[in-house]
Amino acid sequence: MIVSLSWLRQFVDITLSPAELAHRLTMAGLEVEGVWERYAYLDSVKAARVLSVAPHPDAQNLAVCTLDMGSGQPCTVVCGAPNVRLGLLSALALPGTELPGGRTVAQSAIRGVESFGMLCSAAELGTGPDKSGILELEKGAPGEKIASLLNLADTVFEIGVTPNRPDCLSLLGVAREAAAVCGAKLARPQIILPKGEGAIEEITSVTIDAPEHCPRYVARVIRNITVGPSPFWLVDRLLSVGLRPINNIVDVTNFVMMETGQPLHAFDFDLLEEGRIVVRTAQDGEKFITLDGKEKTLSSSNLMICDGKKPVALAGVMGGENSEINPNTKTVLIESAYFSPMSIRKTAKNLGYHTDASHRFERGVDPTGCSAAAARAAQLMLEVAGGVLVEGEIDANPIPWAPKEVRLSASRANAILGTGLSCGQMRALLASVELEAKTPDSDTLAVTPPGFRVDISIPEDLVEEIARLFGYDNIPVTAPMLPMEIPPPRPAMSFRKKLRNIMVNLGFFEAVNYSFVAADTPARLGLSADDPRQATLAVANPLSEDQAVMRTSLLPGLLAATGRNVNLQNRSVRLFELGKVFFARANAPLPEERFMLAAILSGEQKPVSWHEKAAPIDFYDMKGAVQALFESLKIKDVAFARPAPGQADTLLPGHCAAMLCQNKLLGILGQIRPEVCANFDLKQKAFLLEMDVEALRSITPDAVAFAPPPRFPAVLRDITLILNKSVPAEEILEKVRQMKHPWVESVWVFDVYEGKPIEKGKKSLSLRITYRADDRTLTDGEVNALHDNIGKTLLNAFGAKLP
Amino acid sequence: MDIERLKSEACGQISVAKDLDELNQASVKWLGRKGALSDLMRRIPELEPDLRRDAGQKLNALKKELEALLEEVRTRISGSALALDEGLDISLPGRPVPAGSIHPINQVMEEICDIFVQMGFDVVEGPEVELDWYNFEALNFPPDHPARDMQDTFFVSGDVVLRTHTSSLQIRTMESTPPPVKVIAPGKVYRCDSDVTHTPMFHQVEGLLVGDGISFADLKGALTLFVQKMYGPKTPIRLRPSFFPFTEPSAEVDIGCVICKGSGCRVCSGTGWLEVLGSGMVHPNVFKNVGYDSSLITGFAFGLGVERIAMLKYGVDDLRRFFENDLRFLSQF
Ligand SMILES: [Zn+2]
Repeated sequence: MIVSLSWLRQFVDITLSPAELAHRLTMAGLEVEGVWERYAYLDSVKAARVLSVAPHPDAQNLAVCTLDMGSGQPCTVVCGAPNVRLGLLSALALPGTELPGGRTVAQSAIRGVESFGMLCSAAELGTGPDKSGILELEKGAPGEKIASLLNLADTVFEIGVTPNRPDCLSLLGVAREAAAVCGAKLARPQIILPKGEGAIEEITSVTIDAPEHCPRYVARVIRNITVGPSPFWLVDRLLSVGLRPINNIVDVTNFVMMETGQPLHAFDFDLLEEGRIVVRTAQDGEKFITLDGKEKTLSSSNLMICDGKKPVALAGVMGGENSEINPNTKTVLIESAYFSPMSIRKTAKNLGYHTDASHRFERGVDPTGCSAAAARAAQLMLEVAGGVLVEGEIDANPIPWAPKEVRLSASRANAILGTGLSCGQMRALLASVELEAKTPDSDTLAVTPPGFRVDISIPEDLVEEIARLFGYDNIPVTAPMLPMEIPPPRPAMSFRKKLRNIMVNLGFFEAVNYSFVAADTPARLGLSADDPRQATLAVANPLSEDQAVMRTSLLPGLLAATGRNVNLQNRSVRLFELGKVFFARANAPLPEERFMLAAILSGEQKPVSWHEKAAPIDFYDMKGAVQALFESLKIKDVAFARPAPGQADTLLPGHCAAMLCQNKLLGILGQIRPEVCANFDLKQKAFLLEMDVEALRSITPDAVAFAPPPRFPAVLRDITLILNKSVPAEEILEKVRQMKHPWVESVWVFDVYEGKPIEKGKKSLSLRITYRADDRTLTDGEVNALHDNIGKTLLNAFGAKLP
Repeated sequence: MDIERLKSEACGQISVAKDLDELNQASVKWLGRKGALSDLMRRIPELEPDLRRDAGQKLNALKKELEALLEEVRTRISGSALALDEGLDISLPGRPVPAGSIHPINQVMEEICDIFVQMGFDVVEGPEVELDWYNFEALNFPPDHPARDMQDTFFVSGDVVLRTHTSSLQIRTMESTPPPVKVIAPGKVYRCDSDVTHTPMFHQVEGLLVGDGISFADLKGALTLFVQKMYGPKTPIRLRPSFFPFTEPSAEVDIGCVICKGSGCRVCSGTGWLEVLGSGMVHPNVFKNVGYDSSLITGFAFGLGVERIAMLKYGVDDLRRFFENDLRFLSQF
């Protein structure tokens, strides 16, 4: 909402500085989002005296003038005004000046003669109606600013009006607030209408067929008007609040809307068939062309203003082409109605309109203000367009407004606010915005809210009024008195926090990606058609195709982020994300939301350095990370198995694993298939880890039981086996463990080798076994015997040989 | 043969050696092939036969003792000498160990939550895809009400939305818990808006405190405490009347600009104030919708945008950086 200080001053005596007024309005709930000087554009328009006038060598109607602009350096300007003459003091707009019509003055050659700026008329400067010639200044000296010579000063405020305060979508509404914050009185414009001719009931009627959509409709008629441009004062007022003048009749409707907040519509009465108004809902499929030339197909929820035969306006939203005010209009019917906010909102939304009128109607106009606004419009139309008023108004009001008293207990208000205001103080605060309160008893304020305050219906609404008018700054600051107890942390949240910290300690950076992805993402991940991750939840109104569905995997975000990083030359990428994935459910309105942990590794395991050569990341880097994760969480017994079909479609077969614990799938890890990488614009190898956070939590022990470290020394023995390449290392380790010898503490692979001199199809695998007894130090002899025994068992079991 | 004298002289000289040169000289002098000890050894045959054995043992013991001393002093001297002149090039970079980091948004969210947890708030969470009832209607956003325009909403269907705020947790919490309630709800929220100052997904922390006799003054107290913990004890705070359907009275909360300290700058558009929070007293309709008796209890709620706070904290110039996951950005936190 844009208001100008000079317009506000018509209604309230404001002596505060614009900055102070802005501050006080803001602190009363009318947030002033911008303040600017209306005539700032005139800063580069200066008084200039004509020193010489010569005919333009190339154009009959133009003169070449030299001007004294107070700088001591005369300048040359080309001017076409009839009144340009020697000695005249006029207004020179210097190059760069932006004139109200949107034109910017440039230094340019006019028919071959360089013109330094432009001598302007009052109309061109937006300071007056006269466009017959350039401005003639009576006083002043060359170089002085026009704005100060003409006493032009006005400040414009842009106010962010919250949806609950439609009363402040008008100058009078803002003025009421300004009066309250200034401690001044509000003066309303006087409405005096001449006695009209005839009687309105004799020439027209209003029939409301849909009273729940239109509880009230006021109409007035003026005959014999002359449609034409508005007088300067009216144009000036509209321009000051950012509205475009159209013609005197339409301008008056807009002026009154800005002044009172009541949107009006003016019909060309002679274009209304049968000369009457019918308010009804549209028929499904009915077509209608609005003022802006757009044809709309209507439905039965749209309220229409009709004449005796056809729709003539989309009620509360926009008038129709078929009845609009035109240069030949002679008789005008003024509509001033109260429409149901919900009805207007639905229509405007469904048909894609947002107009000044619909904005106000959907928030709620003053149901008691229709008649006054119609009279105000009639008064002004008679003033600016002539004509003869038809006596009387039609006030169709099938559902009269029923004001409802609101009672507030002063002590309750103080309890809510933490204040100690007296009933009288509260009453005075309310009265400052025309909320007159009765005090039936010493603790009760009874307010019947006026029609313009549609937001007040319960006691708390009055509490808010008291609070904002008292000033939030004046309310004390206290500490809430509640029993102090620190609630225990939520295990699921603590667990996720722990996971994040572990991932960071493992050298991963946390990523946060949008929860929505493109609809074809599951396909781009290489998932089969029956994969559960195909069950995406679609967003009905996505901002783009890339954000059309909710993600079912964290991988797409990480892959895309990795691709971007590699393109940005961050070639080694270690990212993780912990967040939700969403699965649509056929039998429930809300999807299943599941927390997942995913990580991606790509590029080099370590950057090349003076210690060692760069090593590309491989499967075992990711496996090492996840094993460290398990170790941090004290999770034991996780099996790494070849994924079952459908478990890891995104990963390269043979280079991936499923992680299982007690036969429950925790997640998968491995190399992402190159074609999947390519689908996300990633051109290098990448390795994925994706786990279900709750599954992981379910196997994480809550408590750790301490076991004392061993008291006796360990003995290490190594053994190297030459065996078939296809034998997984885990099987050999498992074989050793299965022997369950109490002295075997652990077994570890410390070398794997293929190639010469090892025979083809074979590999050499070196194990290190730790032997320890818990009751004494083992002798060499004891260990050697056991080690030989284990070696023989392995040789037999796997058909292995010693080197 | 005066072994004792030799021992005391040799020990004295060896132990005062200041550098390896002096030590070597002492070593040669006492233990060298032509040194004093060897000299005595060579003279053993000159002794009476019954004394030879005893002398030999004593000299051998002394030799061992001196050698140990020599080694001890050598270690000491060479230790300090190494440090002085033949150490490592410690300027060479260490062997790289990857160091990750938590996303700045989650760091800030954690920090905010920690402050409220210290103030006794419980942390709750809930679905990001939400029923209209929880996101709007129960929060006193009637259907087809202009207040819904305040939040550009992503819809899944007619009555399922991507939550536009974590205020939905107010309803979910109060529906399942009798008063008093003291919770914060951190999480992701979604709005159908994308430009320099908006991303379609961002993070919020919502707070709710409901109980007997909770007042607007208490709201000011709680928020003042939070702001001062988050931004420092001298940070001024200002509440301005505003409108949210689920609170009344409602307030926007400004803090004194942390960049210019109130004198006015680009970040605060010259006002000296930064809007960081929305808040207010819980609207009676909200209580009614969760079955609380608003004549018995009052409460306040507040919500803050995590990105906004993170931008101020770190001086991040563009909101969108938080979701690009550029390692050059992430590694700074
Ligand atoms: Zn600032």
